Amino acid sequence: MSREKLLEVKNLKTHFNTENGRVTAVDDVSFHVDKGEILGIVGESGCGKSVTSQSILRLFDEKYLVKYEGEVLFKGDIDLLKLSKSEMRHARGNEISMIFQDPLSSLNPVLTIGFQIAEALMLHEKITKEAAFEQAIEMLKLTGIPSPEKRVHDYPHQLSGGMRQRVMIAMSLACKPRLLIADEPTTALDVTIQSQILDLIEDINKRFDMGVIFITHDLGVVAGLCDRVVVMYLGQIVEEADILNLFENPMHPYTKGLIKSIPHMDGDRKEELHVISGTVPSLENVPVGCRFAERCQFADELCQSKMPDLRVVGEGQKVRCWHAEKIAEQEEAPVYVTS
Amino acid sequence: MHVAQEQDKLLKDEFILAKKRLKRHQKKLLFRRLIRNRGILFGGIIMVLLTLLAVFGPIFVPYDPYEMVVTDRLMAPGAQHFLGTDNFGRDLLTRMAYGARVSLSVGLSVSLLACFFGMLIGLLASYFKALDNVLMRICDGLMAIPGVLLAIALVAALGPKMENVILALTIVFVPNVARVVRSAAIVIREETYIEAIRAQGAKTWRIIVLHIAPNTVAPLIVQASFIFADAIITEAALSFLGAGIPAPDPSWGNILHDGKVFIFNAWWMTVFPGILIVLSVFGLNLLGDGIRDYIDPHTSK
Repeated sequence: MSREKLLEVKNLKTHFNTENGRVTAVDDVSFHVDKGEILGIVGESGCGKSVTSQSILRLFDEKYLVKYEGEVLFKGDIDLLKLSKSEMRHARGNEISMIFQDPLSSLNPVLTIGFQIAEALMLHEKITKEAAFEQAIEMLKLTGIPSPEKRVHDYPHQLSGGMRQRVMIAMSLACKPRLLIADEPTTALDVTIQSQILDLIEDINKRFDMGVIFITHDLGVVAGLCDRVVVMYLGQIVEEADILNLFENPMHPYTKGLIKSIPHMDGDRKEELHVISGTVPSLENVPVGCRFAERCQFADELCQSKMPDLRVVGEGQKVRCWHAEKIAEQEEAPVYVTS
Repeated sequence: MHVAQEQDKLLKDEFILAKKRLKRHQKKLLFRRLIRNRGILFGGIIMVLLTLLAVFGPIFVPYDPYEMVVTDRLMAPGAQHFLGTDNFGRDLLTRMAYGARVSLSVGLSVSLLACFFGMLIGLLASYFKALDNVLMRICDGLMAIPGVLLAIALVAALGPKMENVILALTIVFVPNVARVVRSAAIVIREETYIEAIRAQGAKTWRIIVLHIAPNTVAPLIVQASFIFADAIITEAALSFLGAGIPAPDPSWGNILHDGKVFIFNAWWMTVFPGILIVLSVFGLNLLGDGIRDYIDPHTSK
């Protein structure tokens, strides 16, 4: 089943200029999103997943801060990194749009939600204010906000967190983009609201055949929602697999560690939860060899000195590890030391 | 069927009524909160009274502010001249009412103009880093010179006219506003909702005007009321020094200036305009503090 590629990121690098020199937050990342597919990007804080998504939309200040390398191909042949500023602006919101982590701060407090959704429309379409408001009501209805014709005149502080995230989704869907980037959209919400929002995203994905990049650190969410998953660690992709393979047959020690760290409802309560020991190294002094080597139980000389490439190990599965197969064989052995 | 429809309509009517009642209730609450704030209440009352004096005073006073009656010069407050007369025999109350017009309109225009240009400069500086350094260094330079001194120099260069006084004072106060707006805008620029609207494809100017500017208005209103007060004082100081509103026209500072020589013979020429200046500044500062507390409840405690 090969579908049309909607977005293809090739060797993307994002460098930041800081006081302590240049920092490469996203280092040689390649992945793709098919039409109508939900791709998950997973990793702990600071692994570069948000920077990746913001690099796709080129949201950083390019004059002073940031330098991009590589290609971001949209719809096959449009390289987003080569577009002019105004072309890029046209693509934002219209073709690719984004929802953010914290719904409490991603809506402007001094404008009504109706205006903010209508504005998203008016930015890209020649449309009267009245028509835009009509559409805004439609979008609110679509995202499941009760009595939308009254709610359009509300200000963000009058809505709850879940409602605001719905408004945010309505806003980003206003122009029917082809790709939606959801940057931890449920992290700030409680569990019931979280599942409602996830249902909504899945519903939208199905209904409009829209590609979705879903960024999260919550593997449980990924399991229920995504088709394929990319695991990132310290600016690099360490494993890419479809959702079944990722949970059934994880290849990279880091992925294994992540999966083991998920608490289970039916697990032994006395048993301590698995923890990946150590912390993520700073981006300012990245290890020479495998970036996970310091925290990996299987690391040897080779891992310390030479960085492994991302290589294909199975159908649609890629891993960045020297010893992936060897580790897989000793599955039964206690892989990690719990701290 | 019919009954159901009627019931529906009744329900709907009731719903609309309830909503109206709620709206009225909300307005009442808002008004009450406004009144409960002492600063806004008293500051507001003082400023309303002074504005009434400036707007309607000149209509009701019985004398001409420029007409000199030599025989009536330096008359003490009494039945004929309620607040006495000055050294040319002009009625002091009349001159003070006309002076209120001049002083308040100078204060108001200066605070409006300073807010407008200050906001412009502050927003530009906050968003464009290249402009930031240039604009803010100019503002620093202007702020390094004492306000009154700068104003005297500007008026001396431009010539003593009311418009020039307003212009000079605007230049004096613009840097203050620019700083306040810039610091507020820098905070807002980093908010997620600005990034969100950028991700929607909004142009830079649109983000600045529609999304950043309205969020800086709260601190700006507070600043505006203080500048209003400052402008009144500075205008009075300029006029007192003879560098402000030119002589025959009355302003509170001018009357003080005239009264300076006669302070031992005619105390009323100094005391009454002085009271008005103090009162207006007091009222405006109360109002400004009140508005600040009203907008941001955190600072009230």
